[in-house]
Amino acid sequence: MKCLEFERVLPEYLEGNYLPEQQAHLQTCAACSNLLADLKLISEQAKSLIASHEPSPALWNALEERLRREGLIRQAQPPGFRLRSFSSRWRLAWLVPLAAAIAIGTVVKLHYPMKAGDTQPVARQESIPAPPAKPMSSEDLQLLTTVAERPPAQRAKYRANLDDANSFIRDAEQSAKQDPSDIFMQQMLINAYEQKQMLYDLAVYRSEPGEQ
Amino acid sequence: MRTQRALRAATVLMFAGMAFGTSTVRKDLHFRVGKHPTVSINNPYGPITVRAGAPQQVVVVAMLHSDRVELDQSQSRNRINLVSHLLPGADSISGLVEYEVLVPPDADVTLHADTGTLHAEKLHGDLTMEGVNAAMEVVDCADGHVHLKTLNGNVNLTNVRNGHVEVVSMNGDVVMTGVSGPYVSVNSNSGRIQYDGDFGGEGEYNFISHTGNIEAMAPPYASIDVLARSNQGPVESDFSLEPKHAPFISRTGSAFTGTLGKAASSVRLFSFSGKIHLKKRQN
Repeated sequence: MKCLEFERVLPEYLEGNYLPEQQAHLQTCAACSNLLADLKLISEQAKSLIASHEPSPALWNALEERLRREGLIRQAQPPGFRLRSFSSRWRLAWLVPLAAAIAIGTVVKLHYPMKAGDTQPVARQESIPAPPAKPMSSEDLQLLTTVAERPPAQRAKYRANLDDANSFIRDAEQSAKQDPSDIFMQQMLINAYEQKQMLYDLAVYRSEPGEQ
Repeated sequence: MRTQRALRAATVLMFAGMAFGTSTVRKDLHFRVGKHPTVSINNPYGPITVRAGAPQQVVVVAMLHSDRVELDQSQSRNRINLVSHLLPGADSISGLVEYEVLVPPDADVTLHADTGTLHAEKLHGDLTMEGVNAAMEVVDCADGHVHLKTLNGNVNLTNVRNGHVEVVSMNGDVVMTGVSGPYVSVNSNSGRIQYDGDFGGEGEYNFISHTGNIEAMAPPYASIDVLARSNQGPVESDFSLEPKHAPFISRTGSAFTGTLGKAASSVRLFSFSGKIHLKKRQN
């Protein structure tokens, strides 16, 4: 069985109707088994997502205020450090995905406090052998859904690049939190989000009507 | 017996001829344009080469490698749009199209490809390239903005002058030779950033990576204000820089700052965990 043939029967496979030859193909094809894992993850995550609504301006203001309190954004650059257009161009742009991620996190925490671990004491968390995997954001799920029709090798590359961009964001975010006055790390965070934005742009490009 | 053999040979030849005839189709397109035209090409699979040609005309030669891909073209006044339209079942082999394009030197050019090499040469307008795995080459271009975005393709910029250069790359290496201008920015994840030039044009040069190494080579007469820092990787400079105030606490081995000459250009080399090396050109 070839990858294209397997992709055609994916919906039936996900519903539990599968043949031995499809099982055999999965065991030998990493790309298709990764795709299946992604789709299962998307399917599970989608169940827990609540119908999204456009947040009110007040919520956006509150998010901005929270980001300022956490030191992830600042009012002004100190003198003597020239980042001019480099930083000003992206200063607001990177806020959008970050704010969206926090908004989604807030919604999840409000509706599923037990699952989010808010009521668990720290001591009990330490006894857990491995930390639970961070849930994929709805934007990332959307990106993987968008590229689901692409050839397996290309999908795998999008997934790997997404992981790389998220890793950059995590590193920069953690460092920026440790030292909110570190302009260097703020710049890194902006660049990390720029990379992720590029991933979205390239994924969406061929999905637009009239494009191939 | 001889007749049968002759018939068999003729049949084979006929099928071979049919296959040959349909495997590659050449399309020649000519467009009349005015000053400063815009040319956009979207080719999922295959290389695109764009060179400066005669003014006021765009000449396109496209080689389509199967009948599973079509060439859609449109012209709206000074704007030309070319799309390799993939038909059902097309893949990276049957959907392959090779473009050779001549545009007026002042044309604004936008190229998009998933695979294949994107090559632009001797252009003076704005240039945008986007690709997933496409390698990108920009040679002898000046006066226009150069914006490149790639996930895995390598980027080579050679002799690019007097324009804004912005490159965003995930895993591809970015190699710049003789690149200068008022603004040169490279944002890379794990790809290597390599610069060999004079940091001229009283410009702003920002090279940032997550894990990729950054290597910048400048001549002894360079006039720069340098700030280099790697959060987890080593930093190194071949120059004896004049000390200056740093906006962060300079830790030995992970950061340096200083000026060279009249400090006409600003150079920022930032990496999270990559190695940074500012090299001095020997000749």
